[in-house]
Amino acid sequence: MTERSSLLSFSRRRLLVGASIAAALAVTTTAGFNPALAADSPRDGGDITFLIDSLGDTWIPNNSAISSFQGHIWGHVTDKLLYVDAEGKVSPWLVERWEQNDGATEFTLHLKNGVTFSDGEPLDAAAVVANLDIWYAGRKNEGINPIGLFPKTYDHAEAVDTATVKVFFKKPTLGFIPTLGYHGSILISPKSIAQPASEQADLSKTAGSGPYVVESWKEGDHVTLVKRKDYNWGPAAVGHTGPAFLDTITYKLVSEPSLRVASVQSGQADVAYNASPQELKSLKEEGFTVATPRYLGFVNGWAVNTKLPPYDDVKVRQALQAGINRQEIIDTVYTPDWHLATSFIQSNVPGATDQSALLAYDPAKAEKLLDEAGWTKGANGIRAKDGKQLTLTLHSNPYLATSKSVDELIAQQLGKLGWKVDIRAYDVVTYGEKVKYGGPAIPTYEVTRSFIDAGTVAGILTNANNGENWFALDDRDTVLNGLRDKIAGAASAEERNPLLDELQHYVLEQGYFVPRTQIVQRIYVQSPTLKGEVYNGVAYASYYTAFIAD
Amino acid sequence: MSNAYLTYAAKRLGQAVVVILLAYIFTFVVVSILPGDPVTSVLRNPQNGFTEEEIAEIIAAQGLDKPIIVQLWNALSGFLTGDLGMSMRSNRPVSTLIAEVLPSTLILASAGLAVALVLAMLVAYGTRFVPKKYGQGLLRGFPSLFLSVPNFVIGLMLIHIFGFQLGLFRVINPDSFWATLFAAIALGIPVSAQIAEVLIANLDREAEQEYAAVARSRGIGQARLFATHLLKPASLPVVTVVALTIGELLGGSLITETVFGRTGIGSLVQRSVSTQDLPVLQAVVSLGAVVFVLVNLIADLLYPLLDPRVKIIGGRKRSPTTADETAIGATKAVTP
Repeated sequence: MTERSSLLSFSRRRLLVGASIAAALAVTTTAGFNPALAADSPRDGGDITFLIDSLGDTWIPNNSAISSFQGHIWGHVTDKLLYVDAEGKVSPWLVERWEQNDGATEFTLHLKNGVTFSDGEPLDAAAVVANLDIWYAGRKNEGINPIGLFPKTYDHAEAVDTATVKVFFKKPTLGFIPTLGYHGSILISPKSIAQPASEQADLSKTAGSGPYVVESWKEGDHVTLVKRKDYNWGPAAVGHTGPAFLDTITYKLVSEPSLRVASVQSGQADVAYNASPQELKSLKEEGFTVATPRYLGFVNGWAVNTKLPPYDDVKVRQALQAGINRQEIIDTVYTPDWHLATSFIQSNVPGATDQSALLAYDPAKAEKLLDEAGWTKGANGIRAKDGKQLTLTLHSNPYLATSKSVDELIAQQLGKLGWKVDIRAYDVVTYGEKVKYGGPAIPTYEVTRSFIDAGTVAGILTNANNGENWFALDDRDTVLNGLRDKIAGAASAEERNPLLDELQHYVLEQGYFVPRTQIVQRIYVQSPTLKGEVYNGVAYASYYTAFIAD
Repeated sequence: MSNAYLTYAAKRLGQAVVVILLAYIFTFVVVSILPGDPVTSVLRNPQNGFTEEEIAEIIAAQGLDKPIIVQLWNALSGFLTGDLGMSMRSNRPVSTLIAEVLPSTLILASAGLAVALVLAMLVAYGTRFVPKKYGQGLLRGFPSLFLSVPNFVIGLMLIHIFGFQLGLFRVINPDSFWATLFAAIALGIPVSAQIAEVLIANLDREAEQEYAAVARSRGIGQARLFATHLLKPASLPVVTVVALTIGELLGGSLITETVFGRTGIGSLVQRSVSTQDLPVLQAVVSLGAVVFVLVNLIADLLYPLLDPRVKIIGGRKRSPTTADETAIGATKAVTP
């Protein structure tokens, strides 16, 4: 972890030096995580078909950029200011270098010259200011939302000259730089931004600066992208900066999972998205490429409602933490491609520390804690206290296909300890209405959430500054609030990392967050002739560097 | 045209307008009382990280927190002036969305109707002229069989046999000729059942008429007897049944489109239902009602013109012919 965190340090001197050599470094490291590029030499041409289960709802860039479906298309049609790789390493892209003041409240971005949007507009400082403004504020009365995770401490941005932008914040915002590489922060032509919502919702009317442009699209059916021949500003970190190799990429909607996989198996398509984990082993044996990249974010797990009895009792929460056999989840529901949770944030996030000791399966300890808390086993094997049974109602997360299977397994595990577990599964709309953090009948909220910078985590957990108050603690836990304030005020990664370690230990030890497994939300099954794709920090596949091998 | 006929036409037109308006309001009420809407569900996607306060603020900014009756009034006044509004899910004009998918559904529905008519005709012909030893009786059971097999089962079987086994079409390219043909067959088979049933019943009746006996005694062939003498009188009631199957075709296309992966009105409805996209649902339901009512109106208005024996008395259609009664009886028999 230490070598990763040093890459994320934002002291001014280090960044100035670091950013200028990052490009060169990145090229050499690329071969390490992308062996396909080294094995075959890329060749121009070819068309691929990517089968996807949905293409989401709206195409208004601000409203759709964080969706798990549209993000595939935005990743090819638009660029970002910075690149964040699968290990959370930030490197230059359209911003060549950057500086910040000591308080992390002012940032200066130096842009690459000669970058244009596909409608001919230059991607200059004024265009970047227009994008920062709409990310922060949206146009709410028109139905254009702000980017939810863009720092709410943003004040304003100024174009100093055509290639320099100065950004001002109301409070220290160390998370700003990594946010520029997050999926929400896609750069759109100022002309497109000025369009009303109904025009922005027409994908063909939105211009980005990415290596592909939209050739045709039909809602609920397909999006076809064609390569932009004058593209010459790819992120150095992927080892290629010129035009893409593949001529076209077609994203085709096929809602039936078995049909997607069968089409790739029969050679009718090249990539199938979101296959079922159970199929992966046999697909690998048949020679297909299977990718299960992890995004940077929270692990899949529960935010526990500390207001709802009996989960207001720390011993019951700790019993829950020790009573889950996480290895069994991986063995039963998933495959060895999934990783054990080592904290409540994914282990590839810079700043994540190994808290495995707190997450060990220890049924004896769990039973002892429950006994101590006064929950005694009845004749039917269910524990009770003052005539009330020890219950847990789980609401399976509809955003994760395997959620219900994991719930069922955990229900068995906890059942042995004396828990009475109920499972409820809702569709996305009902889930959004009924299941909320700290809701009156919601003991645990199942988290599936990505982020780019661990510094934003503490704010989300508590209720300060529009935080989400995940554990319904309000202002009750002074330790957690103290850590949150210190992390928010930290001006460098060196200062912040020990605090993050303390936060992770505290939250897990208190049983506020109960991890299940590290999350894989995107599964790719790919034809063996397609090679060279790259997965970024939010686990999206980019075919900018991909090619068809002979 | 007689005065009575015009009164009849005006009355039917008035009824049609009321039906369409009621369908519009009914959809609004049903979808509105369900919790949730597409705007909030986008905002509530956990990846977006909005707080409850922010969600409330954005909802208010778009006027979605107004009382239901105000929203209904706004939608209805737009609808009456021909403005179908904006999709809440995709933020695009509803008319654009419908125009994008309508051709695909029209192609499927008309191909499905053609398949149904041809199939009904073949079955009906078979029941009269296939010799008993080659299964004439069996053919009479076909309509019941066609009606009792759900069309998604037929669709899945066709995809499996002709798409995967024989490779006649690519499953991911559902708009190709072969894929469309098989989708039309899946859609047309259940629809053909009702038409065949009515046709068979009326052929039986016509074949016993004296003119048929005369024609036979003159020694004309079976095919010619069927085509020139029996088919025309027997198919008059079929006009009504075909008009009624429009509903079947529209409803069936929803399922068939999903099974075959076609992007038509059916898949638009499916996406809109799952996200509770009210403006789109209202537009599609109203459109369906308009089509259904219009087609039946046309059939009813055509009837007195096609068959002089049908009289309009006091603005009401009277159908004194026994053939018509048989037709209605047969329709009831096959529609549970």
